Amino acid sequence: MGGDRLKIVLSLTPPLLIIGTLFFGGILYGFLQSLGYQPAIQKYDINFDAYYNVMFSERYAKLFWSGLALNLWVSFVSTFLAAAFALFGALTIRKTFFAKKFCNFIFSLNLPMPHLVVAVGMIFVFSQSGLLARFFTQIGFIASPSEFPILVKDKYGFGIILAYIWKEAAFFFIILMSVLQSLGENFEELAQSLGANKWQRFRYVILPLVMPNLFSASIIVFAFSFGAYEVPAILGVNYPQMLPVMAFEFFLNPDLNARSEGMALSMIIAMIVMILVVIYFWLTQAKIRKD
Amino acid sequence: MSDLKILNLYKSFPGMDKPAVNNVSLDIKTGGLIAFLGPSGCGKTTILKMITGLFQPDSGDITLDNESLLPIATEKRGVVMVFQNYLLFPYMNVNENVGFALKMKGIAKDEIDKKVKDMLELVKLPDIGDRKPKQLSGGQQQRVALARALISKPKLLLLDEPLSNLDAHLRDEMRELIVTIQQKLNVTTVFVTHDQEEAVLLADNIALIFDGELQSFASPKEYYESPINERAAKFFGGVNFLKSSINNQQIDTEIGPLNYNQKNKKDLMNNHLLTIRPENIEISKTNIFKENSFSGIVTSIIFSGTNTRYKIKIGDTVLDCSVQSVGKKEISKNDEVFVHLPKDKLWGMND
Amino acid sequence: MENTLKKTNIYAVYLGALILILPLIAFFINAFSFRWFYPQLIPKELSLQAWVRLKLIPKEGFRSLDGFLDLWLSNPTIIKALVNSVTIGVIVTIVSIIIALPAARVLGLLNFRFKKLIIFIMVSPTILPPIAFVLGLNINFISWGFSGSFWGVCLVHLVPIMPYVVLTMTGIFANYNPDFEHQARTLGANKFRTFYLITLPAIAPGMVVAALFAFLVSWSQYLLTFLIGAGKIMTLPLLVFSTASSGNPALTAAISIVFIFPAIVILYFTSKFVSGDSSATSGFGKI
Repeated sequence: MGGDRLKIVLSLTPPLLIIGTLFFGGILYGFLQSLGYQPAIQKYDINFDAYYNVMFSERYAKLFWSGLALNLWVSFVSTFLAAAFALFGALTIRKTFFAKKFCNFIFSLNLPMPHLVVAVGMIFVFSQSGLLARFFTQIGFIASPSEFPILVKDKYGFGIILAYIWKEAAFFFIILMSVLQSLGENFEELAQSLGANKWQRFRYVILPLVMPNLFSASIIVFAFSFGAYEVPAILGVNYPQMLPVMAFEFFLNPDLNARSEGMALSMIIAMIVMILVVIYFWLTQAKIRKD
Repeated sequence: MSDLKILNLYKSFPGMDKPAVNNVSLDIKTGGLIAFLGPSGCGKTTILKMITGLFQPDSGDITLDNESLLPIATEKRGVVMVFQNYLLFPYMNVNENVGFALKMKGIAKDEIDKKVKDMLELVKLPDIGDRKPKQLSGGQQQRVALARALISKPKLLLLDEPLSNLDAHLRDEMRELIVTIQQKLNVTTVFVTHDQEEAVLLADNIALIFDGELQSFASPKEYYESPINERAAKFFGGVNFLKSSINNQQIDTEIGPLNYNQKNKKDLMNNHLLTIRPENIEISKTNIFKENSFSGIVTSIIFSGTNTRYKIKIGDTVLDCSVQSVGKKEISKNDEVFVHLPKDKLWGMND
Repeated sequence: MENTLKKTNIYAVYLGALILILPLIAFFINAFSFRWFYPQLIPKELSLQAWVRLKLIPKEGFRSLDGFLDLWLSNPTIIKALVNSVTIGVIVTIVSIIIALPAARVLGLLNFRFKKLIIFIMVSPTILPPIAFVLGLNINFISWGFSGSFWGVCLVHLVPIMPYVVLTMTGIFANYNPDFEHQARTLGANKFRTFYLITLPAIAPGMVVAALFAFLVSWSQYLLTFLIGAGKIMTLPLLVFSTASSGNPALTAAISIVFIFPAIVILYFTSKFVSGDSSATSGFGKI
């Protein structure tokens, strides 16, 4: 069976090589740089100065912790709201009503839209002189742009949250639709015949049914929104700043020390995401063992 | 000429503690219709796949007309296989499927069309050339698969469980077709099956395989009348086994002494297990038999169409007897009857 | 099941749908307007000025075929960006499929030691954020001479693309019956003809989905292109980003429309192939 083995190794090598050198190599090198190892300027020592500076130094501590808080807040809220919105939409749209197909299409429309465009779209709709503001002016609610709340490029990340909800709701929606359509109806009818009302059916039949898929989808969305750069770059402000934007700006700083700090920050971001994923796996394994 | 010889074939897979094919040797003459028979997982399909070239044996050889097949690439061996689920190429219609082998040879299109037409007539499906496989019934798909395999006049035809997917009445039709075509084209044919009835109906000779080892290679009749061991006998529906020891005069068994035909003495000597087919046991309410008769109680009667099966308890032993239902005997459950074991129908084995 | 759908639910969904398409509507109005200021809900002037400024459409009086060609051949930024995005997208799509095919076949059909580990490695670029690897990689690329080069950008685009392509194609092979190939071989087809006539048609639908993905992921890349391209390689997302920061909404909207055009096309095509929880959906969610 030697020939088979060789075939397997040869087939797997090219993609593994690419991912190994570019992806893992990049991470490794970034990690080394974050520890102060920069052969370019003949610095070969290993220390945690960059990490310390990023998290605890007078210069950056406030920036970092407020940024971390913003990151967590944005990711949690946008993931949760996107899921809730999609769930509501999926539960309604799976039943027949006028323009159901159209609504189905709209709810899944944003799936292949690039995040950049979604972010720009948020500006067009939600800025103080945006579509929504103009609408409210036309019907007399407000009289000038400054009366419209600051929803994009704001300190609380509302614009960023909105952008992520826009896009990820489509993701959740498609997943939920397929789960509900393949499994939901029979169980619901059964529960109904056993006397369950709408809320009970939702709580005891539908929710447990969609939970596994919803949960894994949420992890994906959370991890992604936590570490992504594009949307906060367009819709964020300078303080507080989301961590990926911060990391990137540090990195572009001509001061090479700042570069290490940028790497350290990106490593911190990666570690947090890793922890999340590990927790997720641990939770799902525990669940499987329980069953 | 396409004599197929299998010589000391050996194949094992990683993770299996016993070899899949263990030292199998067979000699199949041109034009023969042979069955590889055995329970699922006994290695018969693995042997087929080594003949086509999907697997390479660990050791041993396979020769066609005395030339080893092993170094030859699959597509050049002249060995075609028809799989159990026919595997008609879904993106081609029937004509394209059937003509595939000729297209591979580079034969001109007109000639291919003509040969395809002839082939489809041979399998009695003249008008379906434009249809796609999913529009065909199971029986039709199999005929097309057969046509596709035979169009290039291969030296060896291999069939994997050819009748197992078919309903009973289709089975007869297909059996007729396979035998007719095979004889007409005189192509050496090997088919694999786990159904002994199928093997007995189709094959000239049957290679019985248990656990990767060849038990025997014989005609169907021999498996009924002179099985090689208890397991082989059971596989063919033999159910009456008596522990026995033979001496010069008689055979001592658990139900009593039996006379045997002295002509068979050599065969029966040194064997400890006596067997007789249910169809060969005679029963009667009165003892009309001159020898080898025993009395017992009928414990069950099962009507199964052309035959009726009686279970007769003699002492601690139960014998199965199968009699034609037509000559109905007035025998009911719990009756006392006499059974006769004709001395010519006795056969001895070692387990 | 009785259709107990409260009217309010339906109206809420309508509202939700309306809100969801608002940005698109805003894009289109912006792109075809001139001076669409607050508080106008509908622009006073419709015009193609944004497209002219972008140099996608020639000025009044020059809008013949020659006019278009002249304009585009003068290589304005948007054409540069468009060409780059398309070229990079096509190249990485083709390369990724060729690389992924044998690996996917092996992963989909065979079982072997470390298979789970290998799948995990293949999928890992989708778990960690791109910023984790691209910063370190950039330094290496600079020393290897890939920084600011077209091929450097292509290389780095492969990283987010490979997992999706490998996963999608592995799924295809998992449902594939290799006996068909053996059948063709016994009928006289050699390995190449078998691949071309039997394997390829069977995996083609999956390959198309994988290719569309790969293209879309590459098309949407901003951070990777910006960093590795070092400002020398201009692609559409970079143009969108810089225009968005400039504050001219009509221009931004016009570029955005060009930018999302393939996404819409692909949405149409994959709605025929994609089911709810395939890796396809997950891929789109990351774009």
